[in-house]
Amino acid sequence: MRRAVITGVGVVSPFGVGTSTFWRALREGRNAVRPIRSFDVTTFQTKIAAEVPIVHANRSWIEGHLTGDDSDLPFDRVLTDAEVSGALRDRKAAFTLLAGAEAWRAAGCGEAERNAPLVIALGLEQALLEDFSPVLRNGAVDWTDEPTLSLPRVRFRSAVDLPAQLLRALFGLKGSVIVNSSACAAGTLAVAQAAALIERGRTDVVLCGGADSMVNPLGIGGMTRLGAPSPRNQSDACRPFDTRRDGLVIGEGAAMFVLEEEERARKRNAPRLGIVAGWGSTQDAYRVTAPRPDGAAARAAMVRAIDKARISRDAIGYVNAHGTGTPLNDPAEAKAIRDTFGPHADHLPVSSIKGAIGHLMAAAGAIEIAASLLAFEADFLPGTTNHRQLDSECPIEVVGESGRSARVDWLLSNSFGFGGQNASIVLGRPQ
Amino acid sequence: MTIAITGYAWRTPLGNTIDGAIRRLLAGERALQRNTRFPIGGYACKVAAMINDDPAPSSYQRFLRRMGLYAREAALQAYTAAAPTVAENRLGLFFGYGGLRAHWNDLMPGLAEQRSDFSSSWERGFKRFHPFWMLQNLSNNAHAIVAKELHARGDGLTFGGANAGAQALVGAIRSLKAGACDVACVAAYDTLLEPETLVEMAARGVVATDVEAPAAYSLEASGFVPGEAAAALVLERAENAAGQMLARIEARDTADGSADAPSVTTLESLLLGFTQPEDVIDGAARCDRAFDQRELAVLGSYLPGAALISTLGAMGQVGAAASLLQAIALTELLRRGVLSPVAALTKECASAVRPILKAEPTTARSAIGLSVGPPGLAGAVRLQLP
Repeated sequence: MRRAVITGVGVVSPFGVGTSTFWRALREGRNAVRPIRSFDVTTFQTKIAAEVPIVHANRSWIEGHLTGDDSDLPFDRVLTDAEVSGALRDRKAAFTLLAGAEAWRAAGCGEAERNAPLVIALGLEQALLEDFSPVLRNGAVDWTDEPTLSLPRVRFRSAVDLPAQLLRALFGLKGSVIVNSSACAAGTLAVAQAAALIERGRTDVVLCGGADSMVNPLGIGGMTRLGAPSPRNQSDACRPFDTRRDGLVIGEGAAMFVLEEEERARKRNAPRLGIVAGWGSTQDAYRVTAPRPDGAAARAAMVRAIDKARISRDAIGYVNAHGTGTPLNDPAEAKAIRDTFGPHADHLPVSSIKGAIGHLMAAAGAIEIAASLLAFEADFLPGTTNHRQLDSECPIEVVGESGRSARVDWLLSNSFGFGGQNASIVLGRPQ
Repeated sequence: MTIAITGYAWRTPLGNTIDGAIRRLLAGERALQRNTRFPIGGYACKVAAMINDDPAPSSYQRFLRRMGLYAREAALQAYTAAAPTVAENRLGLFFGYGGLRAHWNDLMPGLAEQRSDFSSSWERGFKRFHPFWMLQNLSNNAHAIVAKELHARGDGLTFGGANAGAQALVGAIRSLKAGACDVACVAAYDTLLEPETLVEMAARGVVATDVEAPAAYSLEASGFVPGEAAAALVLERAENAAGQMLARIEARDTADGSADAPSVTTLESLLLGFTQPEDVIDGAARCDRAFDQRELAVLGSYLPGAALISTLGAMGQVGAAASLLQAIALTELLRRGVLSPVAALTKECASAVRPILKAEPTTARSAIGLSVGPPGLAGAVRLQLP
């Protein structure tokens, strides 16, 4: 039976650029939530985020993080085009390029992988506010001069698949480009879709993952009006499964993976970081703005993923939770975990990294899969930053702030999106 | 395993009912009018293929804007038509959308008093955004609403981009074949009739500029008519569809790295993925003379003598909704035993395929629809009568 293994990973996180930076910070129990620097938040209610530590994610920042021999990838051409078109004004575009390049190189990809499909989870197009200025007159958008404005720099918004376009150009990819827009479940679903393509024999290699940034005026403003972020502008604002939780913290970044058919990876001695063994998706069909409190659909996603992996529920040794730190998500997810695992849940370690890196929205599932690989790479389960007092409505075994050393062979990662799109994925230790 | 279509509905520039739009398609009509969506005076592209009826009043107007409401209507109508018997946790939902709609009216309370540098932007306006503004602009908001209304608790995916409809079809078919769901509702929606989209397309020289726009596949073709549409299909495994089966469907998607439309080699690879040649093809109708001629050459070599029709030439280019529109139009035309003409095309082309110039009867049982979009994306559907 064909299986997909992860042979390369690349991360741009609120801790900085690179997978090793990300993993080291998680192992050290660091927290990346801090005051927003990339735009003026003086008058905003929400003044904090888990922001990638750069004010302008532009060409020079990207070039500053390129390492080694870069002649194998046409960064110069792609960045020149991106600069001319204004593409890099969308922060997630820059994150995608660096994370994608790291994954591609880590997997040792080259000419033989050019036909790989790209399956990527992306969030909302970024509205480019500075482009509104020329058409704002007397309290209204005046389109009269709009057609004469200097394209292509004037965009108003980035295309939904902009980061995918850049990656495709960077690697010369010739395969399908699939953009998953399933909100906060998108990252996990993109990796699952990629694994399905390999398992069904459609391809041997897929580049996949997710990228997002809502750390911009409209993103932060819109989420604040919705009431999703914690009202406290402190670094410990996001407190998953804690009695004191009162909302999420917005994060940004990207995580990209190379998925490969297991035997192909073995034959070329590629690194094998984890097996993508099972996945499941369901929908709440409940409310637009709240998860099902009984966690039934979330439970169904977990059960499907475990069944697809053909393992027993007791074989799961760790759950990387969606764990947003919001009043409604955490008890629903805890109930779903308990209902899924029964007595096994009493001793099943569960953690959420959103206290440390915030909620990366469309990219959340992808970066949480990258975090989960620590369990195989270092026999270490990431901690739940800011979790100090377990809420009795969340009766699960939450890993504390400092993480935990443990050897597990199978783990499960959850992502539950707006509107009730649920996704769970099972990863296995490579043999 | 064969997948069957058991219900569908659409909202198109040629009408919102199946019968009404097909009748106009058969009459050779083309949805082509001056764009009245917003003041169009200074724009290079002044034409549009518009849905002229507003969405029906709905309590979901709090969460959805125009195209999302059309998609909701189409999905519910298609589901009602199919009337499948399925457990809630076996009903999958697959959506494709073209991109964020800016909804300028929604943004105005937040933008009207901003400074040019957007300093103090919260106090100057963002605090006046509707609390649901973010939800109204989310990529999967229509998906979420329809899931709730249909009680769809099975597999669910939302795709984005110009090929999202074809990808949603591919995803749904794979899910059905893998047994992950028993019934799949697939919906797609898109509009190219947004100010910045029109400006960008005009700058690239890909859109028609006035109401004299030449027809697709004519030697004078000089740009497509930008349009908008929403469509939905209900799919089931054929063995479960019984008498409800309207047609069998296959779908494929690909990309080749081109900046705009994909190469014709890519179209050829899509065609080769289908095992049987067809007698009828619904072309991509890019209305770019060079592309159209290359497309005709590929079609001629793969499907010599096939009849060429053009749903998108009549309804305009509709981005992510294209593959679903083609699937519905082809199913209806095959079932009625009649082929629609390529709208506004008056002369034969020098090609081994045969463009239909006037509606004509057919005994064909199957057909392929092709669609293309930037960047380098292509989709294809194959329909076969049961």
